[in-house]
Amino acid sequence: MPKALGFVLRELFYTLLLILGVTALMYMLFNLMPGTFLGKGSGLKGYVDLIKRLLTLKFGVSPVTGIDIRSLVFPAFKNTVILTVGSLFISVIISVPIGIFSAFRGFKSYSWPFVVLSYILSSIPVFYFGYFVIYIFSRHYGYLPIYRPFVEVQRNPFITYVIPIFVLGLSNDSVSEIVRLVTNELNRVMGTDYVVASKARGENVLVGAMYEGILIPLISIVFSKVPYIIGGAVIVEYVFNWPGMGRLAFQSTLQRDLPVLLVIAFLSILIVRAGMIIKDILLYYISPKEV
Amino acid sequence: MKRYFFEEPLVRPRLDEQFHVPIYRRASIRDVISIGFGLFVVSYLLTFFTISVTNLFIRDPMQVDMQNIFRPPSFEYIFGTDYLGRDIFSRIVKGTEAFFLPGLLSISVSTSMGLLFGIIAGFYPRSFGRIIFYILNIIDSVPRIIFIFIIIVIFKPSLYLIMTFVGVTSIPKVTSYIKSKVETLKRQRYIEACRGLGLSRAAIIFKHIVWLSCKSVLLIQATLGMGEAILIETSLSYLGIGVQEPTPSWGNMVAMGKDFFFQGKFWLSTIPAVVIMVTIMGLYLLSDGLNSVYNEKVSR
Repeated sequence: MPKALGFVLRELFYTLLLILGVTALMYMLFNLMPGTFLGKGSGLKGYVDLIKRLLTLKFGVSPVTGIDIRSLVFPAFKNTVILTVGSLFISVIISVPIGIFSAFRGFKSYSWPFVVLSYILSSIPVFYFGYFVIYIFSRHYGYLPIYRPFVEVQRNPFITYVIPIFVLGLSNDSVSEIVRLVTNELNRVMGTDYVVASKARGENVLVGAMYEGILIPLISIVFSKVPYIIGGAVIVEYVFNWPGMGRLAFQSTLQRDLPVLLVIAFLSILIVRAGMIIKDILLYYISPKEV
Repeated sequence: MKRYFFEEPLVRPRLDEQFHVPIYRRASIRDVISIGFGLFVVSYLLTFFTISVTNLFIRDPMQVDMQNIFRPPSFEYIFGTDYLGRDIFSRIVKGTEAFFLPGLLSISVSTSMGLLFGIIAGFYPRSFGRIIFYILNIIDSVPRIIFIFIIIVIFKPSLYLIMTFVGVTSIPKVTSYIKSKVETLKRQRYIEACRGLGLSRAAIIFKHIVWLSCKSVLLIQATLGMGEAILIETSLSYLGIGVQEPTPSWGNMVAMGKDFFFQGKFWLSTIPAVVIMVTIMGLYLLSDGLNSVYNEKVSR
């Protein structure tokens, strides 16, 4: 356990270093702009002040809209975390069985449609797929409501979250990549001598081979996809009017509201690094020598 | 057991034990299909770009024709016409101009800088490698689109500038692959032999490491980079901060057509979306096929 604590502390230290680096980059870029706002100041003193305000979560007031940034960003942060985690889960649920099936049965007549489907899903543009799904489910059949922020959520929060999470989970571009990874790794493990010997003895090799071969690369690739999924979330939130961080970022881009963008960048680094820490802990419990 | 596309001798040594295997012998049927489809996509992109630059063979993509609005796909108009009677096929052909040169700029930035940093970090992993990877981690840990939003607010939203930054944000990936490649290569016997024969360091790096071994990684990453550039350009044009309306782009064509989607005029947005899908799928398949042929393990 002390070793696990050690690498968590190391990761936290590295996260702090990264936040310092990113804010320094933003600070340099922001000083090209005229005006006074959060993230703007002169010299080292202004930078230290900016770091202090970010780490104590005292973001102040947006200079464009005059709203307190904290009350604007934190509900959006919660919604984006729900969307990101849910759609990562959906991606893994969809793509791992396709990969296992395609590796176990080969690229035969009954497994290639699934592989082609995974490629189609991962390359279809999210902004079109969202409208298509809205048209099919809400308009044509009337099964599910489109996201309505106030009344419907209070009545049934589960069902309004379903479509956006499914859309982002299916059509972020990680589905076909996870399928390819699972297929390759499983093929590699199934071809090794000890698995062949175990198969000859009549044992059930699939579960052992899966645990041996795909778990570690799968976990590391899934958590490295988090920044890309946040990127896809921007468009999904725009299409579905989901009150998340991506839509807020887009609105503040249109309003040229740099402090809100800075706070959003800060919070998304926190999400990405939290994913890294969870990945390291999982890998530690699966095989301690990997970390 | 992998089935191979071409005839092979009865006793075939394993791929990693063979000294040199020609590329066409390494390809399975699946690889041949994926690479073929990818090359088809690349060829039609090149054709469309040439046609749109020279302005031959197509109708004027900006020509408003109020007699022929909302024509469904037919022999006269292959992909139909939009709400101002403009020909959708010629707009799709013209839309390649929006991402083609910016995308090339983006992949040239990412591959050249990634190669440079990768070689430096691979040869000096202790000193320069750590600094380079700290800086690249900074770029990598901000989601790309939020970085692009900040760039758009600070500078003016020019597509060439945005694509340069897309290239900058994919430097870390290229660098880490090149670095791991160089780290394994520099301990190999043949590099040692080159050094023993008295070749200059530049010749070893550029001929024996870059050209003979890192070529495939760069090719795969360039293919993927073009796909990402198309995805970013279409997304930004869809959101309305990329290419603006009278100038056609595949993204703003989808955005324009989605207003008529619920009226049953589905071809306005479906056809550009399908073109985007086929193009990106072709580039992904091309990179995956090259990956499996060259035996690299490069991920997206």
